[in-house]
Amino acid sequence: MVTSTRSPPGPLSLGLVGAIGIVGTGLAVLLAATNNDLSQPVLRVVLIEWVAVPFVVAGLIAWRRRPDSAFGRLMILSGFAALLSTLQWTGLPVVNTLGRLSDLLVVALWLHVFLAYPSGHLGRRPERLLVVAGYLAAVGLQVIVLALGDFGNRHPLTVADNAALAEAAQNVQLLTLSGLCLAGLVVLAIRRRAGGRVRRRVIALLVDSFGLALVMVAALLVFGTFALPGFEQLQLATFGVVGLAPVAFLIGLLDARLARGGVADLLIEMGADPAPDLRGPLARVLRDPTLTVAYWLPQYGSWADQDGEPVTLPEPNDPGASDGPGGPDPERVFTLIERDGEPPVALIHHPTLRDEPELIDAVTAAAGIALQNGRLQAELRARLQDLHSSRGRVIEAAQRERRQLERNLHDGAQQRLVALALELGLLGDRLAGDPETRARLDRARQEVSASLDELRDLARGIHPAVVSGHGLPVALESLAARSTLPLTLNIQAIGRLPEPVEVAAYYVVCESLTNVGKHARAGSTSICLELDAGVLVVEVADDGIGGADTERGSGLRGLADRVEALDGRLRVWTPLGGGTRVRAEIPCG
Amino acid sequence: MRVAIAEDSVLLREGLTRLLGDAGLEVTASCGTADDLLLHVRSDPPDVVIVDIRLPPTHTDEGIRAAGTIRQRHPGVGVLVLSQYVEVGLAMRLLADSAEGVGYLLKDRISDVTDFIAAVRRVGTGGSALDPTIVSTMLRRHRVDDPLQLLTPRERQVLELMATGASNQGIADAMVITLRAVEKYVSTIFGKLGLPTTGSESRRVLAVLLFLRS
Repeated sequence: MVTSTRSPPGPLSLGLVGAIGIVGTGLAVLLAATNNDLSQPVLRVVLIEWVAVPFVVAGLIAWRRRPDSAFGRLMILSGFAALLSTLQWTGLPVVNTLGRLSDLLVVALWLHVFLAYPSGHLGRRPERLLVVAGYLAAVGLQVIVLALGDFGNRHPLTVADNAALAEAAQNVQLLTLSGLCLAGLVVLAIRRRAGGRVRRRVIALLVDSFGLALVMVAALLVFGTFALPGFEQLQLATFGVVGLAPVAFLIGLLDARLARGGVADLLIEMGADPAPDLRGPLARVLRDPTLTVAYWLPQYGSWADQDGEPVTLPEPNDPGASDGPGGPDPERVFTLIERDGEPPVALIHHPTLRDEPELIDAVTAAAGIALQNGRLQAELRARLQDLHSSRGRVIEAAQRERRQLERNLHDGAQQRLVALALELGLLGDRLAGDPETRARLDRARQEVSASLDELRDLARGIHPAVVSGHGLPVALESLAARSTLPLTLNIQAIGRLPEPVEVAAYYVVCESLTNVGKHARAGSTSICLELDAGVLVVEVADDGIGGADTERGSGLRGLADRVEALDGRLRVWTPLGGGTRVRAEIPCG
Repeated sequence: MRVAIAEDSVLLREGLTRLLGDAGLEVTASCGTADDLLLHVRSDPPDVVIVDIRLPPTHTDEGIRAAGTIRQRHPGVGVLVLSQYVEVGLAMRLLADSAEGVGYLLKDRISDVTDFIAAVRRVGTGGSALDPTIVSTMLRRHRVDDPLQLLTPRERQVLELMATGASNQGIADAMVITLRAVEKYVSTIFGKLGLPTTGSESRRVLAVLLFLRS
């Protein structure tokens, strides 16, 4: 069910790597025991083993659990690097050189491991530069130190014996590595802040332990450079912390494993409510507060969350791709859940959840039916939203057409008729004598006037130009003036609002006044218009007989459509004998 | 009398120019836009401007804004606004503080040449001209304890004419009665409506309108 691009390592690979680890560990102990020149051999070998064994063990576990991620393999490498450095305890020429060369390699590897968590890949260019610089300083500068005689140890690489220069090179090396560790700490801190969202608590602790390790390594390198007092104690503490980092990592894995116990709770929760809010319980059980559930809606060809809002899946993390600042979010990955025949569901989560594909399997199996319910719900919501916006578009298009029609009437027929009337007037004025002709001209002029009146009413019905031209207050005052009933107009001083809002509010008043005139048998009416926190509230109330039919004939349905298309709300109170009150609330976007 | 015109329809602009010229008025400017009109008024103020409400570029309220600007900057210039619609709300805006030298008429009124020229002359000399439909619309409304019901039909007729800005002489001519009779009617009407009598004819237009609006 959970798709993996890489299969987990077989027992042979794991066994082989484990065997190398065991041999390396034993060899380190042997070298320490047989080297007579080594001061504090027990302490040194314990320290090395302490930073090698946990990394190798944790790395093997991580490799098996998360074959997609290079993180496990990196941890194993860093453990091996620590063991490799113990080769310098032997007197064998080439082997000793190999050990000396890898003396500080492990520091660069730690930096690499800490910055590559959790995917095992370095996301951005600065991180890559840091790690590459780390390797150059750890190995490249070490070559120079060896070439300059390595403080009396002869190597095949040695070209000159200059202790002063060698020391300078080594100091540069230590300080550079120290600086790079601090820079790595900054990267972690920035990532933590930029992350912003809540992460799994265990993960946050883990990243903090990486940060602490980096600080201590940086401090240790500085202490080593200047031979400051307290170096030994600091070394103990630093190695202690570094060795604990893989332990913290293992605790994170264990936490995810423990989380599987929550699946039972999930089952109970699902049973109690057939269509629950899935995201919450899933996020709880999977211990990832950032979890998003996305449903594939085939008829829309897109992903949507439970509310039907479109969701974009994160880009698959492709280690080969160069991901600059605009690249994929390294903290978001998704897991597809596919059931036979059903459209897929995607869980968008923190990459660390990939540690536990079994957990995701268990959880999704438990939530199976509910997930499909959730998909139906998402589909329904998406349909509703679609419907809502298409209604808005239809109303808007109709309004645009009506406005254009009114404009065409105004600039065309109406102007021409006025010009005609004017012509007739001028003609009549110039015509002396013949009273009959004059009278007929006058009649013609009146006919034109009557046509103009009719055209005016028609145009006004098509689009209330006064609203778009002069604003709601002016339009409402004109509307109120045409009412034959006693009417109180209560208009708050509001500026111009978006045209669709103004026109909708105008129609609410217009239609309501018509209803009052037709059905209400009212003694008086009142119109109230106010802007309250970005919402236009318009209310028309009368003291008539109430009991208005809100579904048929009254045009209230059409008004509600208009208002709802603007995300507003139309409410009508019309108790029998208690008057009628129509109230529209329209957000002004 | 000197008149400037702003009207975007060429047909109407030319018709108006001809009409005014025939009546012996001098058309000093005939513009297609509000900006053009404002420029002309500034450089060569006429006695009265005739301005269409809907002018380019948006054809919404350019004309009414130009009218406001002219009234503010050139109080001596009368403003006669023409429109395909007359809106009570807009009339109230236009006459907000004074009806002096203001007119607001339906466009078709220009076909009644005599009345129209009289209205232009009235506005040009500080009087008012309000479209009769505005007054009749406002008169139709029922009021609680309506003092308008105390008026006789003749008094009502006088009130309507008065509200459109007609002078006493104009009312007398229209109703074919004597000037003295008109004066008597006017003072009776003001008494019945409880309005203080005012001297100027444009001031009484505003008084009547405000009364009708309440």
